[in-house]
Amino acid sequence: MSHHPHDDQPGDAAGLAAADSLRIVREQQDRARSGLEPDGRLLCLLWGVAWLVGYLVLWAGARSSEGIPSGGAFIVFGGLLAAAVVVTIVHSVRRTAGTRGASRRAGNLWGGAWCIAFVAYPFIIGGLGRAGASDEVIGLASNALACMIVGIMYLTGAACFGDVSLYVLGTWIVLTGGIATVVGMPTTYLVMALLGGGGFLVITGVWQVVALRRGRQQRALRGARAAVGQDPRDD
Amino acid sequence: MTELDTVIHAPARLRVVATLATLDATDEITFPRLQQLLDMTAGNLSTHLRKLEDAGYVRMSKTHSGRKPVTYLALTTPGRRAFEDYTATLTALLKGSGT
Repeated sequence: MSHHPHDDQPGDAAGLAAADSLRIVREQQDRARSGLEPDGRLLCLLWGVAWLVGYLVLWAGARSSEGIPSGGAFIVFGGLLAAAVVVTIVHSVRRTAGTRGASRRAGNLWGGAWCIAFVAYPFIIGGLGRAGASDEVIGLASNALACMIVGIMYLTGAACFGDVSLYVLGTWIVLTGGIATVVGMPTTYLVMALLGGGGFLVITGVWQVVALRRGRQQRALRGARAAVGQDPRDD
Repeated sequence: MTELDTVIHAPARLRVVATLATLDATDEITFPRLQQLLDMTAGNLSTHLRKLEDAGYVRMSKTHSGRKPVTYLALTTPGRRAFEDYTATLTALLKGSGT
């Protein structure tokens, strides 16, 4: 059993020792949380790039071939989304590995809900096609439905995990779905790229600024302590 | 000065308890994952966990994943309370000393 060097000192020394202990708590808890939760910035950046590039390719393809993107454009788009799905799943599983309990269960159920929604998705789009929907209607419906699933999943995630920034992102994606459908083909793809993909990237930027500012504040606090000769001690 | 809980008031154990306190009350974490978050050696972590378990602050549950034994760790209710009291005492101390 080790004793803190300032255990028995009254006044300022005790105050500084207390500040040190609270700093140890804060830094370790920050480290634990970031080690156990998926990195929202990384995932948001990933999806922002996938949507921005993928939908720009579709838009360019649709403009050059009378409204319907070429098969190649769809392959690029599908490849980008598939890569984003794989990275998201691998990253999330690795971060939450080695834990169990109610939070893990809630995360698993939420993750499962994404899969269920996107398993039904192609059947709905296929059904519309079989009922005689034109290529334009299918294009509009597939983008709108994807936006509604993604946006509403973010909204439920925000409610489930108490994350307000996820709520903002969900609202943005749902509204993007509305706007993208109203403007019609092929501008739909451009709206999906700029408002949808761009939306992810804006949120990534906001989270990054918040994280950097927080890191700077902590370093400034540490610097101030070091200036009064209070070095952290470890076992 | 108010008495601080000597079981928690050692930097290594404080880090262990602080980490476990980030989990929700019903959640548990495996030994290797906790070790990774703390960047401690297995022996060092085991020693501190034993002291925390002896004090009734940490509970260990052993189970199996396939044929591999897995140890899950979590704070007990008294452990969580002790950590909250500890940080509350320190915060009060800081306010009192005017720093």
